[in-house]
Amino acid sequence: MQEYREFIDEIFVDEVSLQKRVAELGAQISRDYAGDELLVVCLLRGGLTFTADLTRNLTIPHELDVMSLSSYGTGHYASSGNVRVNLDLKVNIEGINVLLVEDIVDSGRTLTHVLQMLKTRDPKSLKVCVLLDKKERREVPVDCDYVGFDVPDKYIFGYGIDIDEHYRHLPFIATADLSKYRRSE
Amino acid sequence: MQDYHEFLSEILIDEETLQNRIEELGQEISRDYVDEDLLLICILRGGLVFMVDLMRYITLPHGIDCMAISSYGTGARSATGNVRVALDLQTNIEGKSVLLVEDIVDSGHTIAHVIEMLNTRNPKSLRVCALLDKEERREVVVPIHYRGFSIPNKFVFGYGLDIDEYYRNLPFVAVVDLNKFQANG
Repeated sequence: MQEYREFIDEIFVDEVSLQKRVAELGAQISRDYAGDELLVVCLLRGGLTFTADLTRNLTIPHELDVMSLSSYGTGHYASSGNVRVNLDLKVNIEGINVLLVEDIVDSGRTLTHVLQMLKTRDPKSLKVCVLLDKKERREVPVDCDYVGFDVPDKYIFGYGIDIDEHYRHLPFIATADLSKYRRSE
Repeated sequence: MQDYHEFLSEILIDEETLQNRIEELGQEISRDYVDEDLLLICILRGGLVFMVDLMRYITLPHGIDCMAISSYGTGARSATGNVRVALDLQTNIEGKSVLLVEDIVDSGHTIAHVIEMLNTRNPKSLRVCALLDKEERREVVVPIHYRGFSIPNKFVFGYGLDIDEYYRNLPFVAVVDLNKFQANG
């Protein structure tokens, strides 16, 4: 894998700003669900880092579950088409407050499908917390209840988001200069 | 859910000690896997928090993937018996240097089964990194290459480990006083 310093365009959100915003979101969610039951659902794999940090900033007791989705189209999360559940929730969400945690929303199609599917299970409430919102790419309207940052329509990596399955571990969000990026075999 | 302060017996490993040790593990792994095609595998859900922190301390490019395991017996993971793969890897591990990331190893049966299964896929290497090692409970031999802490045979929670699905988000590892814990109905 190519060293990321060779293809990084800029650090879009640095570690301090990220952690500060994640803490704010955690505080807000803790206030909004105070005294209520809450299930946090991490959408794999992009949402892992954000979920781990966000939940550490929640001051209310809550459960954690994970879901893994893919699309029936080619590629990873193709922007249209139905969603396939690779790993479903363990928890029965009927009557429970559910908060979906996602790294990034662009076209909104995947998220819309997931929301539709989960609503058929009659949760008490169903909300979305997304770290990055790439609004320019939106094709279907999705209401994100909690948003970390609005991002421009650029290639983004770091903090859970991969570039060819690498660099999810970086503690910041960066944009890639694709003219400098060499795809490995 | 009962407030954890009511049933917390003691903090076994505090946040600073945890993070320092994970940083050391990250540095060790970064030295050991130079020029290797490293893939971290998180065993859901307990390993999630540990893997997210560990990968941020690894300075090498690497991939991450997740597996969800359940057993054919009753309970989430029975102490013996075969394991069922609820979510398999997206990555083909043939020829890769694989590091399994686990929150805790006790009897060792689950991880031993996972190792056997993954070895049939011919990875270049396959090692285990466990945050907590409850050696007193071991029933099968499991080689743990990277160990965070050896812990006594007590009911622990926090930092990825749940008590009735709650409190995985606490930044420390604590011991439950089972006399004071009221299980939910």
